[in-house]
Amino acid sequence: MHKTSEQLIMLVVINVALLAVGAAISGGTFLSLFNFQSMASQVPEIGLLAIGVMLAMCAGNGGIDLSGIALANLSGVLSAVIVSSFLSATDSETGFSLAFMAMTVGIGFAGGVINGLLISKLNITPILCTLGTQMAFMGLAVVVSGGKAVTVGSPDLLSRIGNDMFLGVPIGFLIFAVVAALIAAVLKFTPYGLWLMLMGTNPKAAVYAGFPRTGILVATYAISGTLSGLAGMIIAARNVNVKYDYGSSYLLIAILVVVMAGVKPEGGYGRVICVVLSAIALQLMSSLLNFGGLSNFVRDFAWGLLLLTFLAVGRYDVAGFLMPFKGQNKSSGPGPQAPKPTN
Amino acid sequence: MKTASKHILIAGAAVAALMAGTAGTLMAQQKPVIATVVKISGIPWFDRMNTGVVAYQKANPDVVATQSGPATADAAQQLQIIQDLVAKGVNALAVVPMDPAVIEGTLKRAMDRGIVVVTHEADNQKNTQADVEAFDNADYGAALNARLSECMGNKGKWTTFVGSLGSRTHLQWVGAGEANAKKHPDMQLVDPNNESFDDANATYEKAKEILRKHPDIKGFQTSAGNDVLGVGRALDEAGLSGKVCLVGTGLPNPSADLLESGAITAIGFWDPQKAGMAMNAVAKLLLEKKPVTDGMDLGVEGYNKVTVKKGAGEGMLIVGNGMVLADKASYKKHMF
Repeated sequence: MHKTSEQLIMLVVINVALLAVGAAISGGTFLSLFNFQSMASQVPEIGLLAIGVMLAMCAGNGGIDLSGIALANLSGVLSAVIVSSFLSATDSETGFSLAFMAMTVGIGFAGGVINGLLISKLNITPILCTLGTQMAFMGLAVVVSGGKAVTVGSPDLLSRIGNDMFLGVPIGFLIFAVVAALIAAVLKFTPYGLWLMLMGTNPKAAVYAGFPRTGILVATYAISGTLSGLAGMIIAARNVNVKYDYGSSYLLIAILVVVMAGVKPEGGYGRVICVVLSAIALQLMSSLLNFGGLSNFVRDFAWGLLLLTFLAVGRYDVAGFLMPFKGQNKSSGPGPQAPKPTN
Repeated sequence: MKTASKHILIAGAAVAALMAGTAGTLMAQQKPVIATVVKISGIPWFDRMNTGVVAYQKANPDVVATQSGPATADAAQQLQIIQDLVAKGVNALAVVPMDPAVIEGTLKRAMDRGIVVVTHEADNQKNTQADVEAFDNADYGAALNARLSECMGNKGKWTTFVGSLGSRTHLQWVGAGEANAKKHPDMQLVDPNNESFDDANATYEKAKEILRKHPDIKGFQTSAGNDVLGVGRALDEAGLSGKVCLVGTGLPNPSADLLESGAITAIGFWDPQKAGMAMNAVAKLLLEKKPVTDGMDLGVEGYNKVTVKKGAGEGMLIVGNGMVLADKASYKKHMF
């Protein structure tokens, strides 16, 4: 477990370093309470999507969920259209909010189950399957909304989720934190978590060991879809309006967050806390560059550089493990391993 | 733990290197900051707007004027920039929204914090104190058509192109054009409102079809930025340059060749440079708590006598007279 804690330490160090640089160049405003709240309210959207991608990746066999943001937008758009057809956001504020929230999460769940069934039952490669469902979800959102933004409005309860604070912490961020903790606990303490990681490490062995493969896959993508639905709800709560093409850049950013968090792309390993810290690090960096008034192209460059640094350090780590005075070998089976440098 | 500290050192050094560039770009700023946020940075239209922001900064050393925008065309990215700028504590925002609906919530929070909000190209934006438009859409459409009918000698068949039937401004432009054409009874509108989807190639094919169907057509009025290029190419290839009139929205640089060959009679546009300056000028007035009144001079060419109306929300709608019609003789003054 030496390596795990190291990834965590590194993410913490990077976050602290970013905060320090932010404080230095902004003369303190970067560390103001308001900016923390502002940044915290921006994290959940991408953070929830990234956790979904992480779960899909952990399932192994090239697992990935590309349909995240499309499903989030679909759940927002569809819920807004359906719920406002029988409830008014101004007349029955609480009813509208509750119906809207239940609907977004429900649609996210349903979309995730569709992904899971397609992947487990029809054996479609996850990247192709979720690419297909991504387009289908987006297309459906376009059809339902006619390609225009749909107004959700700001009924009391919903607008609180988007705008209010609880003990100084944005409620959206609290939801994100609770959900992340919940999923971390599920991964750690339930048989599902163990099955997921072991199946990701060696799918063939998992099948022979009698793991419920279909069940695990459907559950994984269903959770990922539900997280998308939650993200859709938070987007709607913050922005008042929802649109089918919101956050089109999130797809790649979510994957970036996950890779930076040290989740193994080949499956079998990933920690929620690292994903959360990695999402926060990206947020700090992008806010920092906006504070510094730098071009957003610099941001893309900086993100890429950060990712490469992580990959390089990860590789260096592997070399560290091969050093004679640390005889511990982490390989968990005879399965294919990444090529290791011999020295 | 020796290796661990080494890794941390490496990571730390990488981050420090990454950020070294950002340090020093910020100075202590006591002057009010007006931050212009555009739809997307790095495209000619908003590069041109940036020249306006830079010029405004030069002319007004008592404020700090900057421009930023997302690297990708995504409303969510623009939203983040606006939110970060609000947190940074700028005094005024001048936003060209990618999607007015998406940023309503954030602009409202910005105004609640006492930040002055000015928008452009968003006359349906509710949460703004002032939306600056370069011109009245009806006037613009009528002006395009006046130029077209003049070229056509006030008679003959003509048709119109719009980006899509869902594009509100384009329909306003051709609508005003049709109204203007009614003044000339010999002008006959045929197959109006062809959709171009702002795709020069699709427009080219469509224009060729129309030329086959109506060999005696005399004029085209187009709306989306690439339409003049498509129709112009079709006319050029058919050897009709100068014989059939073409007036539409377009930018001088891409249209230069076709203007020279005579395939395009005239292009209409507004200058994003001037629009950027006008937005900043309005933001400064609002910062100084000075009123913006009907007929006021913003000190920017094309905005010397603005019309002030009530906007979509609480704010006002400021309409300038920033339209530019350029033909072969005059387009060189506006190369962008």
